Amino acid sequence: MTGANDGRRAPGTILLKIAALVFSDHVLSTVVQPTISDLQREVANAAPPGLTRLRARWRGYRAFWTLILIAPFVSWPSPTDEAGAVAFPEAIARLAIGSIVVTLLLIIGPVLGAWVAAVTAVGTLCAILIHAWYIRHPSDLAVPRGAHGRLPQINFSSTDVADNIGGLIFVVGSVFIVVIGVPSVIWFLSAATLAGGGVAWALAAWHASHPKNGLPENQIVLR
Amino acid sequence: MSHGGVALPKKERLILEFLTSGGPMYGLQLVEHSGGALKRGTVYVTLGRMEAKGLVESQQEPLPPGGIGLPRRLYRPTALGERMLRAWTAFTRELAWEVKS
Repeated sequence: MTGANDGRRAPGTILLKIAALVFSDHVLSTVVQPTISDLQREVANAAPPGLTRLRARWRGYRAFWTLILIAPFVSWPSPTDEAGAVAFPEAIARLAIGSIVVTLLLIIGPVLGAWVAAVTAVGTLCAILIHAWYIRHPSDLAVPRGAHGRLPQINFSSTDVADNIGGLIFVVGSVFIVVIGVPSVIWFLSAATLAGGGVAWALAAWHASHPKNGLPENQIVLR
Repeated sequence: MSHGGVALPKKERLILEFLTSGGPMYGLQLVEHSGGALKRGTVYVTLGRMEAKGLVESQQEPLPPGGIGLPRRLYRPTALGERMLRAWTAFTRELAWEVKS
């Protein structure tokens, strides 16, 4: 499909593989492949000096990444009425996860050092690989009777978290792990994060304007 | 503003004009003809939308023997696309005349 021939690999082959992870077949064939095809044609037609080819590559790569950035926010009628012809909701989920990973690594690197960042990156990679493997090989183990009502749970709300950058990293990391493990809850987590942020902001604003009010009478110290 | 599905957005009108006057074109040719009005990163999104609406149709070019890479898509206007462009041009002309007078 990508036309690798005689050991040569056309530019954009890896981009196509990346796009195949994100987009539906319909979007891939009507939008992504023509964009990569233009890149390949322009590079092939560029004059021999390296700079001209480099410019052609740059224009093609820029077009591809522009497409990747805008695609989740674009929709168009599908030729058939089949739901899911455009896999943008899934693309949004993947972009959101990618953004969280990058943010996490950017925060962890400067604050906790390169070693922790490397371990986090490896852990992330493992999580993605495990998730990808699970998607391809879903579990077909029989669930014992009565087990449906007793699902194992981890209660994150009972975990003590400090109100500093460490706490923030823990929260972002926890959310990231849950999203990787259970991608279907990404909307719930996003909405909960927004709602939580809104409530926190409102409480902070109220306490700032009413410094004496709102304290419990028995002065229970909240951790 | 959808006008009940009969609106012709600016970029779609531009593409239809190019394809009607200049014959079938590849996406990159449309971008080059537009002088910056169409962008490489978004032109296929617009073309995909137009194809789904039935305004344009595309065909993959055959890859030359020994050629590497993906085949390009050649776009041409459909009869509906040409009629839509004519109707929209007449409508905007009429509207401009109404506003002027």
